[in-house]
Amino acid sequence: MTEAAFQLSGIVQTFPGVRALDGADLTIYPGEVHGLVGENGAGKSTIIKVLAGVYQPDEGRIEVGGSSVSPATPEKIRDAGIRFIHQELHLVPHFTVAESVFMGQEISGPFGLSKRKMRSRAEAFMRDELGTELPGNRLIRDLGPAERKLVQVARALVDGAAKVVVFDEPTAPLASEDVRTIMTAIARLKSRGIAILYVSHYLNEIIDICDRVTVFRQGKNVAVFDEVTKNTGSELVSAMIGRALDNFFPTTDRQPGEVSLRLAGYDDGKTFSDVHLDVRRGEIFGIAGLIGSGRDELIDALYGLRKSQGTLTLDGATLDTKTAAKAVANGMVLVPRDRRHDGLVLPMTVTENATLATLDENASFGLIDRKKARSATERLIKDLDIRPANALAVTRFLSGGNQQKVVLARWLAKSARIFIFDEPTVGVDVGAKAEIYQLIENLASQGAIIVMSSSDPVELVGTCDRVAVMMRGEVRTIIDKPDLNVDHLVAVTTGATTVSETAYAS
Amino acid sequence: MQASARHQRHRLATIVGLLPLIIFLALLLYVGLNAPNFLTVVNLKLVLTQSLTVVLSVIGLSAVVMAGGDDVVSGGIDLSIPATAVLCAGIVAVMTSAGQPVILAAGAALVASMLVGVVNAVLITRLRMAPLLATLAMFVAVVGITNVITERKRLNLNADSIAALRGDIVPGIPLGILLVAILSLLAWFFLHRSKWGLNLQAAGGSRDAAEISGIRVDRLVAQSYLLAAFMGFVTGFFMLARANGYSPGAQDNLMLEMVLATFLGAAFSPRRIVTVWGAILGAVLVAAISIGLKTIGVNVFWTDLIKGALIVIVVALSAISQRVQ
Amino acid sequence: MDTFANKNWLSPRKILMRFGFLIVFAAFFLFFAAWNPVFVQGQNLLNIVEGSAILIIIALGMTLIVATGGIDLSVGIALDFGAAFAVVAMKSYGMGWFPAACVGLLGGSLVGLLNAALVVGLRISPFLATLGTFFIGSSVQRIFTHGGGPISYRQMPDGFRNIAQGNLFGIPTEVIIAAVLVVIYYLVLERSVWGRRVHAMGMQRSAAIVAGIRVNRILIACFVFASITCAVGGLIAAANIRMFTPLSGFAYLLDAIAAVFIGAALHPRGRPNVLGTLAGVLFLGMVTNGLNLMGLNFNTKDALSGIILVSALALAVAQRNMRSADGD
Repeated sequence: MTEAAFQLSGIVQTFPGVRALDGADLTIYPGEVHGLVGENGAGKSTIIKVLAGVYQPDEGRIEVGGSSVSPATPEKIRDAGIRFIHQELHLVPHFTVAESVFMGQEISGPFGLSKRKMRSRAEAFMRDELGTELPGNRLIRDLGPAERKLVQVARALVDGAAKVVVFDEPTAPLASEDVRTIMTAIARLKSRGIAILYVSHYLNEIIDICDRVTVFRQGKNVAVFDEVTKNTGSELVSAMIGRALDNFFPTTDRQPGEVSLRLAGYDDGKTFSDVHLDVRRGEIFGIAGLIGSGRDELIDALYGLRKSQGTLTLDGATLDTKTAAKAVANGMVLVPRDRRHDGLVLPMTVTENATLATLDENASFGLIDRKKARSATERLIKDLDIRPANALAVTRFLSGGNQQKVVLARWLAKSARIFIFDEPTVGVDVGAKAEIYQLIENLASQGAIIVMSSSDPVELVGTCDRVAVMMRGEVRTIIDKPDLNVDHLVAVTTGATTVSETAYAS
Repeated sequence: MQASARHQRHRLATIVGLLPLIIFLALLLYVGLNAPNFLTVVNLKLVLTQSLTVVLSVIGLSAVVMAGGDDVVSGGIDLSIPATAVLCAGIVAVMTSAGQPVILAAGAALVASMLVGVVNAVLITRLRMAPLLATLAMFVAVVGITNVITERKRLNLNADSIAALRGDIVPGIPLGILLVAILSLLAWFFLHRSKWGLNLQAAGGSRDAAEISGIRVDRLVAQSYLLAAFMGFVTGFFMLARANGYSPGAQDNLMLEMVLATFLGAAFSPRRIVTVWGAILGAVLVAAISIGLKTIGVNVFWTDLIKGALIVIVVALSAISQRVQ
Repeated sequence: MDTFANKNWLSPRKILMRFGFLIVFAAFFLFFAAWNPVFVQGQNLLNIVEGSAILIIIALGMTLIVATGGIDLSVGIALDFGAAFAVVAMKSYGMGWFPAACVGLLGGSLVGLLNAALVVGLRISPFLATLGTFFIGSSVQRIFTHGGGPISYRQMPDGFRNIAQGNLFGIPTEVIIAAVLVVIYYLVLERSVWGRRVHAMGMQRSAAIVAGIRVNRILIACFVFASITCAVGGLIAAANIRMFTPLSGFAYLLDAIAAVFIGAALHPRGRPNVLGTLAGVLFLGMVTNGLNLMGLNFNTKDALSGIILVSALALAVAQRNMRSADGD
């Protein structure tokens, strides 16, 4: 083969008490799209930071374009033509597209900034290299998430010196049709001979665009797939988690009961309208839909976080959830999609977070009974296997999966009747995912009503009894268990085809 | 249909966003109709002269807010600018009264002012103290030091070169107004039309984005506090010129007017962010309202009440327009 | 256990991190004591506490607002209103001391209600909202007093005077009032269910909302509660000098903010807290008293306490930084 675009070999990186990388290798060739997959904690982000020169590894070699870089600093790596598209959209909301693309590399003339030149070059780059028409004077805050991502890409590549581009979870905040925009841009870059390292949790994307895939587990590369086909998916998963996919979702013979929760005429006047849904007792009811389908907004409205019209009844009696406080008081709880922002008070401890909704039960005369709160929390920690098993640990420092369990612990203590899960496993590693699915299943078996909103079709198919698919603010269809499979769900969700055509297609 | 609804909301937001300016212009028009000589060249000169110290301070403050972000508590803010101004005025007044040359006094005041800026920068970028807290504490300390230097006494101006700021350079245009106009243009150029200024705005707009783009955020933030201290230094001379000497206690009112003008300016800017020209416009309008109300015979005690209400109205409208959008 | 396993747990850095502020506190104490032995006499120490009583009360109100994630620049106005309403109620309406004191507290609560309306109703940021309240409140006082002249009332009832000048078992009433408020604030903010909700809201408002906490109701209550507390300070101030002096509350603002932030820096997790605030106030009170005893000129004393304020805050923040850098 040709000379590698870059090669990391035998990288060892230790942090106090952790061996994050344990002799890891990663080699990328020019003109290929190389996938990097692995569970959270497998060492993906660590090796990217080693490549970026942010961490100095204890052992190992870093070669770029055949010559060794040592020590690797962020500046040297940048000069060598390696660019990073970070997961977070690091952009200034009130900047224009042109200002954002040229941030840190502005073009100046004798009379200050050459705004016109920056604008025309930014527009030309977006059009020629990334295949998008985007006016250079638009403000970032008026752009959609995919366009913002492309601005980020343009910023990294506009100087024309990029040889390797590392995409870290580029599609995480995007809806399916926007993913295609990003994919098109990546294909164009590839055709220009640029090497691309594509890090993602979405295996379907990896299979779609990658030429080769490296799988990381426990700090090293456990497999490299030189050929990627449709069937690589399950092999990837078993390489990642070291076991087969089958025991990932809980098995169940649970039978949902009578219709209990009814949504009638939900309408917020903007993003969704005329939503009617019936959910059974002991049922896990899924809601699918792209970004912009009104799914997120419907969940917010249901929980009183967003103004809307519509009536909610539980077993025929009206349920008031006009504010989140009322919803909680009436037995409806939400595990929110943005856990770090809405789910937890991050600077607080596990105990403080887990008892936040049950303070009154853990108090006498209005004063908190610390002992009682602590022992209640320790029970929950044990039940949910929260790690570290320390009731006084600050939640900011917990992993995504354990943070999610703390949110769950709070609501389990509240013994609610209706649970809304919004993207329950985003940023949660595979092991904890399975545990969370099992918990949800257990809740349903005990007769709780579960509404699960998710952008992950595999998750919906694996856990739900029925799934409502939303599109452009309406519920388009409700798929029953017998018809529920990933291909069909994705097809309906993306509007690729109508229901009647695909009902028996798979 | 949805698109047109969004369009309507957008238009509504624009109108709500323009309301502060409309309210101000309406108020000025009202004053103008009730006091016919208010809208004359002579009065415009009076308004501008009155606003000079605020204009100079808001240039410094808007640079700090641009570099640190516009969250009042955690973002950038420098409340110590007026204290630096009185420190400078105090030093110059004391030294010139004692017979020292103006240039030496100015040098000493410059050193003292920049020292204030350096301490601010260290507290904020090294110790990571909240700017609001750090500069508020510096305000107290610097005013205290100024009171030691001046013994809280009124000192008459003993330097013609400073008094010349009030005089006309060409018939009809006072030197002070001309100088401040030039400084404003320079500030606008460096903060809005230079690479440095754009990087400064990037730093305040999204610290992470700026750092990833290789912008040295802390250095820019520190520079913004030094610039603010320098503007405080310049403000000190205009204070001396305006009051024809040093009079204690000028800092409190300047602090409030400076904050009012800067955040008022944000409501005027199309992107709803703090800008130099917006802040300057805010400063001039606040001065115009003050003088206008006095012209039509409004009790001076009511003027503060109206200013307080204006802060609230402008900021509330700005918040509403963002929510509508 | 880990602490003891760690060999350098007594390194200078760690000592400074844990006890930095205490060391400075002690150093100042010893310095003032060495300069003037009067400083350590029981009566003088009581004077420090007595002299700090109003600031303690104002700083408690400020602690509550800072714990909600905001700041209150109008605490002084609430103090002024408390004093003004009580004095006017007695002087012009001939009220008894107790009803007048209640009227004073009601007057103070108007300030909190205005703040709450601006912050909760119009969603203005607390800094700008309370700045507006400050402007409006100052100007109302000037209009009411025709320019800021004090309203004195020499013949105020003994009951009212006793708010500041009385004593119980030799302890001045104002100290007792401040102590009671400290206990109430400690129980409410640090130990009660309600206080936990306040902290949760202050740290992460959106998470508090999702957890079912009625944030708006709590925020309104906090602003009103804080302003009533400050009005108590106003009653004491009015009783002390038997008059209402317009705009006198402003003098406490910066010290109150400083005390709260010194206190927050002393907390292991950097939270604003009642006992830390108390420590901050007593530190500032000690410095003022010590500098007085040194017989310095008024201006010099002011400048020195300003410089000490900046240094103390810097130290407190540095201490917090070192602590968080070491992961608690």
